[in-house]
Amino acid sequence: MSMTHQILAHTASQISALAAFAQTGAAEPTPPTFWMPVGASTISQGVDHTLDVINWICYVFFALVVVLMVWFVVKYRHRTGDKFRTDYPTHNTPLEITWSVIPTIIVIGIFVVGFRSYLDIYTAPKNAFDIKVTAQKWAWSFQYPNGAVSDDLYIPAGRPVRLVLRSSDVLHSLYIPDFRVKRDIVPGRYTYAWFQCDFPTGQPGKTPRDPNAKVVSGPEDDAQAHTLFCTEYCGTGHSKMNRYVYVLDEASFGQWMTDQSQWMDKIPEEELYFKAGPKIFARCQQCHSLDGTVGIGPSWKGIIERVKAYPIVGDGKEYGTWEDYIRTSILVPGKYVVPTYGNVMPSFKGQLNDKAIDAVLGYMQQLEKFDTKTGKLKAEFDPATGMKK
Amino acid sequence: MTTIQLPSPGALPDTIEGRPASDNYLTHTRGILSWIFTLDHKRIGVMYMWSVLGAFLLGGTFALLLRTELLTPGPTITDSADTYNQWFTLHGAIMVFLVIIPSIPAALGNIILPIMLGAKDVAFPRLNLFSYYLWVTGAVLCVVSLAMGGFDTGWTFYTPYSTTTTAGGVIPVLTAAFVLGFSSIFTGLNFIVTVHKLRPPGMTWFRMPLFLWAIYATAIIQVLATPVLGITLLLLIVERTVNIGIFNPSMGGDPVLYQHFFWFYSHPAVYIMILPAMGIISEIIAINSHRAIFGYRLIAFSSIAIAFFSFIVWGHHMFTSGQSALMNTLFSAISFSVAIPSAVKVFNWIATLYKGSVSLTTPMWYALSFLFLFTIGGLTGLHLATLSTDVHLHDTYFVVAHFHYVMMGSALIGMIGGLHHWWPKIFGRMYDERLGTIACWIIFIGFNVTFFTQFMLGSQGMPRRYYDYQPEFQVYHVISTIGSYIMAVGFTLTAISLFGSFFNGKKAPANPWGGRSLEWQCASPPPFDNFAKAPRVGDCYDFSVVHWDPKLGGYRVDESNDPEVNPAAQGTKAAH
Repeated sequence: MSMTHQILAHTASQISALAAFAQTGAAEPTPPTFWMPVGASTISQGVDHTLDVINWICYVFFALVVVLMVWFVVKYRHRTGDKFRTDYPTHNTPLEITWSVIPTIIVIGIFVVGFRSYLDIYTAPKNAFDIKVTAQKWAWSFQYPNGAVSDDLYIPAGRPVRLVLRSSDVLHSLYIPDFRVKRDIVPGRYTYAWFQCDFPTGQPGKTPRDPNAKVVSGPEDDAQAHTLFCTEYCGTGHSKMNRYVYVLDEASFGQWMTDQSQWMDKIPEEELYFKAGPKIFARCQQCHSLDGTVGIGPSWKGIIERVKAYPIVGDGKEYGTWEDYIRTSILVPGKYVVPTYGNVMPSFKGQLNDKAIDAVLGYMQQLEKFDTKTGKLKAEFDPATGMKK
Repeated sequence: MTTIQLPSPGALPDTIEGRPASDNYLTHTRGILSWIFTLDHKRIGVMYMWSVLGAFLLGGTFALLLRTELLTPGPTITDSADTYNQWFTLHGAIMVFLVIIPSIPAALGNIILPIMLGAKDVAFPRLNLFSYYLWVTGAVLCVVSLAMGGFDTGWTFYTPYSTTTTAGGVIPVLTAAFVLGFSSIFTGLNFIVTVHKLRPPGMTWFRMPLFLWAIYATAIIQVLATPVLGITLLLLIVERTVNIGIFNPSMGGDPVLYQHFFWFYSHPAVYIMILPAMGIISEIIAINSHRAIFGYRLIAFSSIAIAFFSFIVWGHHMFTSGQSALMNTLFSAISFSVAIPSAVKVFNWIATLYKGSVSLTTPMWYALSFLFLFTIGGLTGLHLATLSTDVHLHDTYFVVAHFHYVMMGSALIGMIGGLHHWWPKIFGRMYDERLGTIACWIIFIGFNVTFFTQFMLGSQGMPRRYYDYQPEFQVYHVISTIGSYIMAVGFTLTAISLFGSFFNGKKAPANPWGGRSLEWQCASPPPFDNFAKAPRVGDCYDFSVVHWDPKLGGYRVDESNDPEVNPAAQGTKAAH
């Protein structure tokens, strides 16, 4: 069968599968098994089926090899000094051809099964919903068509989603085990991943997870979120580079996206630093501390004083006000690199707008109000006004 | 035809060509300089062996540190992810470049290959010594790299991480891998020429022991593939120092190009590791079954087939890299073809046990472990060659488990089996076989506890190279770590049994297992120049002329009934 034929046949089976789905409306993700985690995407059943086929072939061959091995060793056991058997065959051409040909047929079969389910993974449907993903050491940023940005991935249920993947530094790889999806993210080119999940998970609680927790804890409410990992080694924070995927029904997803794009707009300018600041800092704290600890980048503690005691960067580097310095460092990090630190910070251009940068500046000015561990407002301050209770 | 009848080893005369019969390569000359400047293949092999085992101890220590760290999510014994990253990088780099690649060819191959050929030495003894000192230079550079701040790139050195990381030891370790590559190339070159030119009269290609076929196939890969690694590493060094931009996307370079270059070597390198081990297993199984190996030609051809296929499957490491779907499909299809010669070998080994006379010696236990572990390692390769399942399993612990079954469970277990097989020949001492066998069992159990668990861990979604992990994975990690401690106990017992042979081991006979190939016809340990006279080459898998001799405590080859030796005698050989 030619490749075109296969693809056509495959498309036909796809369509009939979709029709079947429309009628029955599968109600649940496939539950976890001994080998596989929950299967929640439209491709997961195909992948799991392929895996089952291979597993059974493996069980049979493994049993065959081990049983024969043990049987022969026991049956033909030799004690030192006994006479050797001489009635053995040295070769048997028909047998040897048989055991070369049978594995050949089997692996061709496995290849075909794997190839067919691979096409499902590879080819995104035309009507897919695009989400832009930026991976950088060691954070994810998901950008939605209306301008909303989030750290966890939110997707609409029942609709194919295509992720447009981009890295701003080194190789990363996006992996969602429950969806059976993985794709490397290569700096300097776009790569894509797609999937469709039909089962809403619910939304997480309003309080973000503790970014400084020693252990990556689960979602804080009952939402059955799926985990998203980075699977291409990318340095210090590689194992912390995991977030959650929330699947929302079509209506709540639209609402969520609108709220998310406007979350800062509703905050008055003077409240930005304590309402938006801690949330933004959560993305900075992999490299910058609040307590003076030297990290991948300089600590924010005393940063304003250091900048004002001009110049904190190398000879001949000029900058205007301290606000200018911080702003430039966020948008064009390579411009002023503080000596002894590497030029490793990715640019946040397009991810943090002017209002967000204002929030960061305000946050830096009022650092003493925030807990140095969590980055959140200390208990003695009122979360509504930012003033001492 | 006149043939030279060797005296049976038990009845060696007191002197051979004027030298005392007790003279052997270990006692022939004395003093440290006689080792440092030796050109004797056996001494070079022994130096390789101790060096590789030393590196194995170091790499194993890092493995235990890693497993201990992973006992709990978050910090366990180090609170720095960077330290953990350096550990796994060191573990991988040491085990691949300093241990497994040189272990069988350079250590055991050097000692055994010329004797198996009935030769006095390899073709180029000076090149042989040079390649050993290149290995030493590589090892020293690894230590230098540690002193300069270590490296955290992973043993794969993927760009752009490896060209931008601030760790100070990256260039020294790249240089180390480059130098070690040349050590490997020279060893391979030496063996190719030796096998072509120094085979004795009568040893046609299809009369070579299968270990020689395996080493020969390996040597071809070493010579053809390793230069690509050399060039790639040089480019990486240049990229890191003067930023030429060949791999750097911000200068128009391509990080995926690096992956192609790297795997073009490193996939064949997997077969540099496994093929020699397969050769050892063929020897051990045939000799301990005391019968002709089943399907000799098919095993020999499958070694060459594996060497050939090894060059055209590298893209299966890159199914998720953004490589085109067509390329992925082709590489997937070709990768499956490696399964066939591998399966054929396993079936032939099993068939060799059939109607054999199976002696359960310590080396044989290792060979049986190999069969068990290699079958798992090989079969799980199917999951990874299959496109759709590989997407899910790539870069998870499933891959980690798979390649440990192949590289450790097969290549390294084969190496340890070979060490036990030839130890009496190399040092002239028998080790405690009971202890050796118990140790083999403990390693086998520990290995499966450690790595089988990792298949589940990976298919459940645990990515590799993670310092921290989700609490739901902890059960698997704890079991895996316990397994690694069991293995550590097993290897300690192995070391006790082998080193114990120097203190209370009884003197080894020339032929303790009943082998027929030429190395069993010279004394244990071999004399300085191996054979006083060119030995007669028989059929190395015809064991009908091998007899147990209680007086020797070993086996004796009696060819007087062989029509090739004594035309008057009626052949009692099993018909071919």
